Parts: sequence; C-alpha cells; structure tokens
Amino acid sequence: MWALSNKVAVAGIGYSALTRRSETPLVQLAKNAIDTALADAGLTRRDLDGLATSPGMPRYGGAKGTVEGVDVVTPWFLGEQLGVQNRIAYTGSTNGMVTQAFIDAAMAVASGVCTHAVVYRALHVPPGSYVNFDSTFASGQDQYFAPFGFSVPPAWAATVLRRYFEMFGYSRGDMARYIVDNRANTQLNPNGYWRGKPIARDDYLDARMIADPMSILDCDIPVDGCAAILLTSAERARDLKQKPALLSGMAAGTHSPPSSVPMTLEDIWTGCEQVAERIWASSGMGPTDIDNAHLYDGFSPFVFLWLEGLGICKRGEGLAFLRDGHGALGGKLPINTGGGALGEGRLHGMTQIIEAASQVSDRCGERQVPGARRAIATISNGLTKSTGFVFSRGEP
Amino acid sequence: MSEAQKGAVPMRPRPLPDEASEGYWQAANEGCLAIQRCQDCRRWNHAPSLNCPACGSGDLDFEKVSGEATLFSWTVVHHSPGPGFAGKLPLLVGIVELAEQPHLLQVANLTGCSEGDLHLGMPLHVEFERIAEDCALPQFRATGGQG
Ligand SMILES: [Zn+2]
Repeated sequence: MWALSNKVAVAGIGYSALTRRSETPLVQLAKNAIDTALADAGLTRRDLDGLATSPGMPRYGGAKGTVEGVDVVTPWFLGEQLGVQNRIAYTGSTNGMVTQAFIDAAMAVASGVCTHAVVYRALHVPPGSYVNFDSTFASGQDQYFAPFGFSVPPAWAATVLRRYFEMFGYSRGDMARYIVDNRANTQLNPNGYWRGKPIARDDYLDARMIADPMSILDCDIPVDGCAAILLTSAERARDLKQKPALLSGMAAGTHSPPSSVPMTLEDIWTGCEQVAERIWASSGMGPTDIDNAHLYDGFSPFVFLWLEGLGICKRGEGLAFLRDGHGALGGKLPINTGGGALGEGRLHGMTQIIEAASQVSDRCGERQVPGARRAIATISNGLTKSTGFVFSRGEP
Repeated sequence: MSEAQKGAVPMRPRPLPDEASEGYWQAANEGCLAIQRCQDCRRWNHAPSLNCPACGSGDLDFEKVSGEATLFSWTVVHHSPGPGFAGKLPLLVGIVELAEQPHLLQVANLTGCSEGDLHLGMPLHVEFERIAEDCALPQFRATGGQG
C-alpha cells in the first residue's frame, strides 16, 4: 500500500461556465474556476502556493493554438494573472493528461513542497472543425493513419468497439441504456453541458454516425471552460470548509499498442488491467471495496472496458453490466453519476476525479450515492498516459 | 511540388517518410509490401523503428511479406477526416493483421467489399493505390474467401 495513502485530500472544487464557444477568454474562465475552488474551501488566492495542469490543446490534424490565455493557460502565466506569482512554490505541467499533473500535485502536497495546490484544466475549442487533417503531409505516427482517413479519434475507438461487438455478439442497442441513463444523470449535475437536454433510446439509435459504430452521442463534447481541484494535506483539510475526500491510492499506466495502430481492444484490456493492479496495490483495496465508479468516457466504450480491466466484470461482460442497468444511480455500482464527460463536457478526466471526490464527501446533491465510502476514478483508455485514483470518505 | 499538390483539389495527406520508415514507403512505392524485421530475434516490427522493441537490437531490415492478411477490426468513417477526403465518404478503414505474425497490424482502406461483407478474420490481400507520382499506399482487398 502507498505510504501516503489518505494523507492528501481534495478540499475544494470549482468550475467555470462550460459552453461550446465562450466569449470569455480562456484565462478568465481559468481564474473563475480557481477562485471558485478556493472559495469552496474557504480560502483566497493568497493561500494558493501550487498550480498544476497539462496545458496543451488536444486538436488533431490542424494547427494547434498556443496563445497564452486564449488557447492554453500555463501555470506560470496563470500565477501572474492571479497576482500571486511570488507565492507559488510548486508548478506542475505535464505533456500527458492533466490527471498526471494531479499525481504530481498530490506528491508535492504530501512532501510539503506546497500546502494548497490547485490542479486545473482549461480547454479551448479551436475555430472550425475540431478534427480536420488539413496538412499536406502526415509525419510521425500520423503517417500510418492520416493517409487512410484514419485521423478522426472516434474512428480509433470505433475499431475497438467493433471488435468487441463482433467477438461477444453485442450491438449499439446494448449501449443505448447506458447512454440514456448517463444523460439522465447529467440532468442532476448543475455543471453539465447537456443539462436540460435528456435523450431517449431512439435518439441514441438514430444519432449521427461519426465513425460507425461510434455516433456523436458516444463522444464527449469539446467545451470552452475550466475545472479546478484544490488539494491539501488531509490534516489541513479538516480545518477547511468542506468535508475532505481522502486520496487513498493512485496509479499511472504505461502499456502501449503496436505503434502502427492507435489502440486495440486487447491492448486496452491489458492497459486497464495494469492500471488496476497498480491502483489496487496503491490503495490496498479491490473491486468489491468500491461503491461508486467514475470511468473515463471521452469515448463511450472505455466505460465498460474499464469495468473489465478493473476486475469488476469479466472480459466481454462489461457491456452487459451497463445494458442491464447495473451502472445506473440506484444500481449495483453507480457509474459516472454526474453524467461523465459525455454529459458534462470534455475536461480530460477532471470530471471523473471531481465526481469521485464529491461522492465520498456527500456533495452530490440529488445524485448522491447514499453513504458512498469509496470511489474510483479512471482516466483515458487504459493505455500509456492513463491514470486511476481511489478516494475515501474522510469522516463517518 | 507536383501539379496535383498545387491544384485546387486538396489531396489526402501523404506520408512523410522518416529515418525509420523510409524503407517501408519506398518499397510500397515500388509495389512491394516490405515490413521491418529484426535480424537478431527475427520478429517483425511495424511501425518501423530504429531499435527492435522486442530485443533492443539496432539490426533491422525490410523484408518482403506475403501480402496476406485477415481483418482484425474496422470502422466506417462518416465524419470527414479532412479536406482531402471530399467525395470519398463513407470510407472503409480496416485494421488488418498480416499473416506473418500475430498482432502485426496495419491500417488500410478496404476494397472489393462493402460494409455488409465485413467480418473478423476476413481474408485480404495487399494492393497498392498510387496517390502521387512518387507515393503509393498499401491497401487491402477482400479475396472472396469465406473467412
Ligand atoms: Zn529483436
């Protein structure tokens, strides 16, 4: 078990508005989220001494924006913008996903490098199509994908979903219940982009195909916005305003598929199982210790593949678990109780961490899992750059 | 820059070979599917790299393969990947598994079949699609077997 298990806590949460294309500059959205997270904990900017993120714009194909405050918000720039640059003792910035910065920030807090660290993710939707390979040449790994029209990330997930469907005899109809229930969860989440827009089974079955069998409703929606999480020591958290959510364990994945393909079903299984082994070892827990799960859903198939990789379901049985409603609120294991990224908007895993921490500190309002004690959050698809976290209730 | 690239009709992106992949694309341009193979541990390696991911050897060479493959998975792309694909949608994209080694995978467009024919393990054979004077892509055609 991790020596620092339950020594670091989530003590504050903040969101900016999440909209499709915001008139407000990204840096202001970031400041809004961070001020909200600080206030949530009963703190001010003057208490902040750590900032961590992964600032890249995740656009595929076309040019990526790099303008500070518009396309990206780095922690150095943000410290200045918040007027507390000279107080910031720790800055973290990863090339992977933001949830790796969460690991770094937790260690910075645990080791005493800083006292109050905010992990944030500010995302900007670029103008034009999010996915548009408009370069003449494809270099690096793209040379094996883009010439074949395989540069649309949902198409990568589609090859995983298709193989799963064919191997185990499922179809999109088996996914419908989860997608509909997930959108219903979103209706109970004040931050949800899709709040106010419930859907029915036929909406899913008739949804526009991006890359068959992946429809638009199997993909999270890119938004302009920011989410922020305040981390501090468990001890310090007890003096702050909210009930703490204790970080019991964390893990990162390092499994890669062959470099000629972006992902395969088999590699995702292997990767999720690797993260699972590490997260259970880190937290000293196992699948039966968890009472709610927040499984990355940037693309819908990852939800049931995480169920399988974590050992909650056997290979091939994860989709049946969702089809039969076991992941719904009130089900055996409520999953993505706030609607996940499919419902809330694309925040690269912040959604899963925030919901997990919120459940074990009784902060989920109408979607609260009664008495939730331990929650797991998994981020990405199980392959390299994936992460997992277990949060536990801080007080009875 | 060729006439096709200068013209008003956008081309699909063409591969930009690098130190590791040069031999692969050069062979493809000559109508040959050649996959990198470790001369020490004899494992096939795709995408090409400077060192063998299995044993670390730097002694890698391109060897011609049979061109036989089976369908590992597929998707039908409806959302345009970019300006070079206008008029090509929906696009059948397969992940094909080369006969030489399990999990030796590559991406290709599928020809000689329609969406309804596709199934796991479907037999395929390589063919080449010329997209520029000096560039051909390995693609895979259904060979009509029962898989
Ligand atoms: Zn070797």
